[in-house]
Amino acid sequence: MRLGFNFTLGDTHEMVQRLIAERHIDYCEFLIDNFFCVEPDELAKAFDCPVGLHIMYSKFLEADRPTLVDFAARLRDYIDALNPIYVSDHILRFSHEGRAFFHLGEVDYSTEYELVRDKVLQWQDLVGQRIHFENYPSIMDGGVEAPAFFERLTEETGAGVLFDASNAVCSNRNCGTPFEAWRNVIAGAKHFHVAGYRQSLIEPFISLDTHAEALAPDTLAFLEKFRSVFDKPGATMTYERDDQIEFDDIVADLKLLRNLFGQPEERRHDLALSA
Amino acid sequence: MTSLSLPSRTDRDLYPALMSPELCASYPAHHKAFVRIDVSLRVYWHTLFDICPELLELSGPDGMSIFRPFMAWAGEKKLAFDWSYYLWVYVWPRQSPFKERLLADRKYLRSIMGASAARWAVLDRGRDCGIVIGCVDTTDIVIGWKCRSVLLGREIELIEPEEPLPAPPDIFGYFTLPTFELDIFPGWQGLAR
Ligand SMILES: [Fe+2]
Ligand SMILES: [Fe+2]
Repeated sequence: MRLGFNFTLGDTHEMVQRLIAERHIDYCEFLIDNFFCVEPDELAKAFDCPVGLHIMYSKFLEADRPTLVDFAARLRDYIDALNPIYVSDHILRFSHEGRAFFHLGEVDYSTEYELVRDKVLQWQDLVGQRIHFENYPSIMDGGVEAPAFFERLTEETGAGVLFDASNAVCSNRNCGTPFEAWRNVIAGAKHFHVAGYRQSLIEPFISLDTHAEALAPDTLAFLEKFRSVFDKPGATMTYERDDQIEFDDIVADLKLLRNLFGQPEERRHDLALSA
Repeated sequence: MTSLSLPSRTDRDLYPALMSPELCASYPAHHKAFVRIDVSLRVYWHTLFDICPELLELSGPDGMSIFRPFMAWAGEKKLAFDWSYYLWVYVWPRQSPFKERLLADRKYLRSIMGASAARWAVLDRGRDCGIVIGCVDTTDIVIGWKCRSVLLGREIELIEPEEPLPAPPDIFGYFTLPTFELDIFPGWQGLAR
């Protein structure tokens, strides 16, 4: 399992470089559309490691075609310059009746499947490659339908799943989605996310995917129990931290993940060659 | 957990309430749906007051005397809640009991214009590099620049031009910049709702 860190804006540049230099991470995940005004070549030189490209605001379920064509054209320049390990996006609602959510919305897996499938096919076609779609940290009970939805989606579109393990933990805590229900999705996925979550301020408590705290014990237990389903050649896991960005805390979590998954094959190979 | 007569199986059942304190109040407080809506409303609250904490001086520490009526007004006007979110927060209290205190100190307007410029710079995905925001209550302009280097984030500039631009026709006007230079004035665009 290769470990990575999410790079969303310039202020963590130095820290990410240190994570790479000290070999706490093996690759870096760019929130790519935050950098659409940075030249692809500059971005390609930013870090001395492989990269993944994570899309935040394509809004491909909602945006009109000319907007998506233009977004895809710009994204393509970065894909060509950076040759990423993967390209990923989100299945999310950004607005309702033209009014923006500030806390993004989950789709209705049972009534919106066909719509999402068609949009996924169109979006992959515009970008010109396979895209990995991330699962949502479900709160409401409809979230239990997510595993079957993602299984069917990958079968019918050729898309991948960027499986966020802590989002699945939130979904388990909030609406009881069994971890076992994700087994096929995890087995078929190569690219993963993991992060901390926290509880809501009021009861009945719900778990919120905040990316601001240490990995929770149940997240680590989930990874451990499914370790061999997660780990596979070429697999990646990005540790996400968007708030409370403290180097030592991040390294402590990355070390837990390293202990759990071991050094990646590629790294062991490097070491063997240089030994 | 309380049972609920309103549909709440999926997030989608709650979409209209996610931005409406009024609709939130129709859900029983000990139901998961209420907590989920509350989480969403708190993000609107924090997006406003964490970025423009000066506004709490007008409203009192919980912000509710601004937040609740503003969100209700925004719902009636069907505001899109795009990058211009903060500017509408200024438009609304100009016709409210806060008007005099709001206009008495420039810091409120500066904070609000800066916040909207920053939000555009972080969220807009068009090809433009910058946005210029002007207001009839000041000759100052605020520019938001998108992230232009891996070493930087977005940047906000407050400019007090020696030769002021003409005032925008409405309370606020804006224009966008196709490069990282402020070298054009194509005229003001009005805010879209
Ligand atoms: Fe997450
Ligand atoms: Fe994630």
